[in-house]
Amino acid sequence: MNTLALLQTEVASPSIAPVIFAAITISILGGALSVFVVLKRLAFIGQGVSHAAFGGVGIALVLGVHGATSLSAIGQLAIVIAFSILAALWIATLSRVSKGRTDTAIGVVLSASMALGFVLFTVAESGHDHDDHGHAVAEHQDEHHLIEEILFGNILDTDWTKAGVAIGFSLIVLLTTWLMRRRFIFWAFDEPVCDAYGINSKRTTDLFLILLALSVVMAMQIAGVVLAAAMLVLPGAAALNISNRLSSVFGFSILIAVIGAAVGMLIGFQADYPIGPAIVLSQSVLYLVTMLMNKAMSRLR
Amino acid sequence: MSSDAQPAVEIDHVSYTYPATGFDAQPVDALQNISFKVDERTKLGVLGPNGGGKSTLIKLILGIIAPSQGKIRVFGLSPSKARSEGLVGYLPQRIEADLDWPMSVEQVIEHGRFSKLKPWQRLSEQDHKAVRHAMELVDVLDLANRHIGSLSGGQLQRVMIARAIAGEPKLLVLDEPTVGVDIAGQQRFGNMIETLQKEMGLTLIVVTHDMRAIAAMADRIACLSRSLHFHDSPQGLTPGVLAQVFAHDVAGVFGDIHIDAHRADECDDPSHIKPSGCGCEDQGCSDHGADK
Repeated sequence: MNTLALLQTEVASPSIAPVIFAAITISILGGALSVFVVLKRLAFIGQGVSHAAFGGVGIALVLGVHGATSLSAIGQLAIVIAFSILAALWIATLSRVSKGRTDTAIGVVLSASMALGFVLFTVAESGHDHDDHGHAVAEHQDEHHLIEEILFGNILDTDWTKAGVAIGFSLIVLLTTWLMRRRFIFWAFDEPVCDAYGINSKRTTDLFLILLALSVVMAMQIAGVVLAAAMLVLPGAAALNISNRLSSVFGFSILIAVIGAAVGMLIGFQADYPIGPAIVLSQSVLYLVTMLMNKAMSRLR
Repeated sequence: MSSDAQPAVEIDHVSYTYPATGFDAQPVDALQNISFKVDERTKLGVLGPNGGGKSTLIKLILGIIAPSQGKIRVFGLSPSKARSEGLVGYLPQRIEADLDWPMSVEQVIEHGRFSKLKPWQRLSEQDHKAVRHAMELVDVLDLANRHIGSLSGGQLQRVMIARAIAGEPKLLVLDEPTVGVDIAGQQRFGNMIETLQKEMGLTLIVVTHDMRAIAAMADRIACLSRSLHFHDSPQGLTPGVLAQVFAHDVAGVFGDIHIDAHRADECDDPSHIKPSGCGCEDQGCSDHGADK
């Protein structure tokens, strides 16, 4: 099937439209925040938060919120968001207490949450075994399939309700970031003097980490636990390869994120590859291209 | 200088103790019972050895920390209120900004206006004017569109001073501004500060351990070594006072200007030099600060 035909049939079909809208909005969010994430060196925090979210999914499952219906999916999302924000703030607090040893703090929170998640998955699973021995094998496979979806993303089951929630959250984070942009830029540029210039660095850090945690959870809807952080790193890193002007860096970053998402979806839909990894791969290729452009430009100078 | 006028900074019996953090840490007394005033439109040099409480004093004046005891007023307001009203500008000792940020010199200096704006407010014509004026005063107008990471050390420092004065403060706090600057550079820096003070009617607090720099630019000097040892004009800063503040360091560093550091030098046993740097325990030296 050629691309045009694919667009005409698949995109027009009601099952894929919410996927596309959600993916593009979340990519724009990733593009905007990734500039801060790269320059403020928060990439590893993003990684920590996304893995911590796995623990959140475990909690949701034990509470019986399986995400099978739209309503329970939203319930699950709420639990995961709450858990991820707590994880981000916990990382911030731990690294403050340990005098800036952020890598240790992330290492602790990441592994503890992953471990918690797997234990809770097993607890939820054994609950099913106990309920109904006849279906234990099928349930077991289901759980493994679920774990895979959580780890690598499954955007294809996004209906309009889920897309609406994802788009809503993304817009809230984008709007807050836009309103606070000067504060965030000052903080990211020169945190040691923030307080002397009337910008509370602790509060700014916490606010940004909350927005980052929300964004990671949104990116997880596309790319899953393992790849979510990539969407919050690659576009900004790519944009910084090709510009050193503030507004154009943000512009390029969002553009690269959206192009990566569009190309990833096209390839994914056409070749029947998983969408999340296809998007992350496309963004990675764009990053490599900008890196080569950067090298070529500096050689020409 | 009229003493009836409201002082720019008033420090009244201030002590500060850093709380103990960690398993085996002890609380640290950084400042003990400090009192002095800085009159408006004067230049105060704060001199003292490393660990003498200079940075703590700055944090207190900027309202980043609150005194454990005593009271500080900046233009009659609490330090944090004065800062949030944009009355105080600050130049940090080390420039730790992330110079990889895709920002121009002008965009960095605009940060100095942020305390006057709500986060979502745009910069007004007046804000842009103040930014241009600040750039003019420190002579960085021609760098306006340059990338912040492309500047030399001296240019970067001037840009950071422009950022500090872009908010049109009445008090400017400079933390070790001449570290690593050669004599000619110090001279230029002194002239620039002089111009700033005249043009903007600034009160200046310059914190340093560099006595040459301070003697060149200050109207009054406060010597700080946990407690206040001296607060008067530079002419009154005798070798004896310096010896007290800096203990035995002084003779070595300033041997060429014949400082009589006998008080500290008379210590036969270096371990008897008081931790405050105030002479030798054997001599029974006493603090004789001007404000006592």
